Amino acid sequence: MIEAVPIAFLFFAGALILLALPKGPARAALSLIIPVVAGFMVWSLPEGQLWTAGLMGFDLEFMRVDKLSRVFALIFCVAAFLGNLYAWHVRDTVQQFVALLYAGSAIGAVFAGDLLTLFFYWEGTAIASVFLIWARRTEGAYHTGMRYLIIQVSSGVILLAGAALFYRETGSLVFEKMTLGSLGTWLIFLAFGIKCAFPLLHNWLQDSYPAATVTGTVVLSAFTTKLAVYSLARGFPGTELLIYIGAVMTLFPIFYAVIENDLRRVLAYSLNNQLGFMVVGVGVGTELALNGTAAHAFAHILYKALLFMSIGAVLFRTGTAKGSELGGLYKTMPLTMIFCVVGAASISAFPLFSGFVTKSLILSASAKEGHYVVWAILLFASAGVFHHSGIKIPYFAFFAHDSGKRPKEAPLHMLLAMGLTAFLCVAIGVFPAPLYDLLPYPVKYENYTTSHVVQQLQLLFFSALAFAVLMRTGIYPPELRSVNLDSDVTYRRWLPRLIAGISAIVGRIWTTQANLIESGLNGIWRRLYRSHGPEGRIAQVWPTGAMVLWIAILLGITLIVNFAS
Amino acid sequence: MNAKDDPKTFSPLARAFLWTDEKHKVNRLVYGLYALCAILFLADFSYEKHSYVSVEDFPGFYALYGFFMCAALVVCAKVMRLFLKRDEDYYAPHDTESEAYPEDQLERINHDD
Repeated sequence: MIEAVPIAFLFFAGALILLALPKGPARAALSLIIPVVAGFMVWSLPEGQLWTAGLMGFDLEFMRVDKLSRVFALIFCVAAFLGNLYAWHVRDTVQQFVALLYAGSAIGAVFAGDLLTLFFYWEGTAIASVFLIWARRTEGAYHTGMRYLIIQVSSGVILLAGAALFYRETGSLVFEKMTLGSLGTWLIFLAFGIKCAFPLLHNWLQDSYPAATVTGTVVLSAFTTKLAVYSLARGFPGTELLIYIGAVMTLFPIFYAVIENDLRRVLAYSLNNQLGFMVVGVGVGTELALNGTAAHAFAHILYKALLFMSIGAVLFRTGTAKGSELGGLYKTMPLTMIFCVVGAASISAFPLFSGFVTKSLILSASAKEGHYVVWAILLFASAGVFHHSGIKIPYFAFFAHDSGKRPKEAPLHMLLAMGLTAFLCVAIGVFPAPLYDLLPYPVKYENYTTSHVVQQLQLLFFSALAFAVLMRTGIYPPELRSVNLDSDVTYRRWLPRLIAGISAIVGRIWTTQANLIESGLNGIWRRLYRSHGPEGRIAQVWPTGAMVLWIAILLGITLIVNFAS
Repeated sequence: MNAKDDPKTFSPLARAFLWTDEKHKVNRLVYGLYALCAILFLADFSYEKHSYVSVEDFPGFYALYGFFMCAALVVCAKVMRLFLKRDEDYYAPHDTESEAYPEDQLERINHDD
């Protein structure tokens, strides 16, 4: 039975076949066919536990199919297809190979029915994806990849530790809804949190995504973080803590996004912000909220990939993705510009674009459950995301001041990938019903009400107004070549410096005391040598002195013998 | 600037946006935005609201919230920059920020080549 094969294995087999094919279009075509076949299989799978394997007395569930896992697996297949189409020109075996392994691992993890299987695939995504960063083949990319790998693998190790403790507590490894309480569940929660880029655990994302290759970033943007969102939705729905974590996640990255120069890093910050919406949805945990999380993840993967594709195309043609170096590109890359604007409109949740029909589910759910402060924060974050992703990205790349760069339009396959993604973004926005049908719970939600449309347009156009006013009064911060300190400065700069400082001080204390002891011992030795050595004064009287001592000892012994007898 | 920077070589789609380089037309766009914002603000009084949260009933709540929060966002970010901004090579060589993107992975072609 074909549906009995885990979908992940299809990707792994595809990756191996890819190695056997000659370099060129055949490989690129194969990496398009695999996600299409996988997508159809996921679409037609029946629900249930479809494939179980025994390992060391554990039953490993490789194919737990239900509506939640299916919608994520489906969008992962779509993302793999679009990403590989965008990467049609790539002739780098490593990147082609790991792109399939990475997508396969992510899909495998989504279908994992137990924590051990989840762990294997969890580490699989970590190890496969790092090669997309290393594929840039520069010193900086090597170090960035190392940091990324350490954090991702640590997340897996923490997950395994949590799973082991969870097994000891409950005697089961089934990956189902858990409640925070024991150390085991907290560790699992932390592992998910690292991959989901929770505040203060987030920096691997902004650090590594802009360092990957042009095509690698597009692939990276889809899987790792959304796998974490899925895992949270599966394991911790309705955990109140997640509401507050998510709210903070939507909030702080937008400040960084405003002042960040590298446009791909701006997108990484806004990715982090969008994850916050999904995490709030998981935290609220009602049917509406969980639907919102799944729908938003679906739409988000598409528009975020589209934005990364358009800026990637700019990078591909000009060699830079920095706001300070770009501008005026609409003249020669108009299609890329249009696609970028579609992505920007989608992430900003303009009516008729995908973000509008998905984000509102989460906002409504949080207001309905009475989380008004969180609702206000999410509203602010929505306005803010329009500000930095919706306006800033297209404006500084394609308009603003003319950089004088006149690159050729993006290559055909990139335009195709972007066009297809843009089409999906608009299609979801205009006809949300097919997406709503895929969601875990039945949807009774009317998006296009007068209230909702007018309010959303007010929010967006007045944010645009703020941008226009600030731009014209010169208050808006210009794009500058710079790096902004984020929490990663602690482990990239301060901690190494602190350790270096402490080791220098300890080293100095050690050498000082060693020197002191040595010089002290030397002094004693020298003085002894001077007095008792062969040339010393004591040595001159040595025989007389020794005789006196021995006589004294003999007399003493005689005295004791006399006294005792 | 390209030597043969002739707008006639741009695609029709690109030529449709050439007005964005003319200051008075951009001004017109901004005035259009002002007008649109005014209309949207007034539109708030023309329909019955379905609100979950009581502040939503405040006239023009979304408009005012969007405007002032975004202005505050930018001003805060600008202040943050005073403390957080460092040179591009701050983390070099352990960072890609100050590196050139490897040329062999790019396909730099000029528009009129």
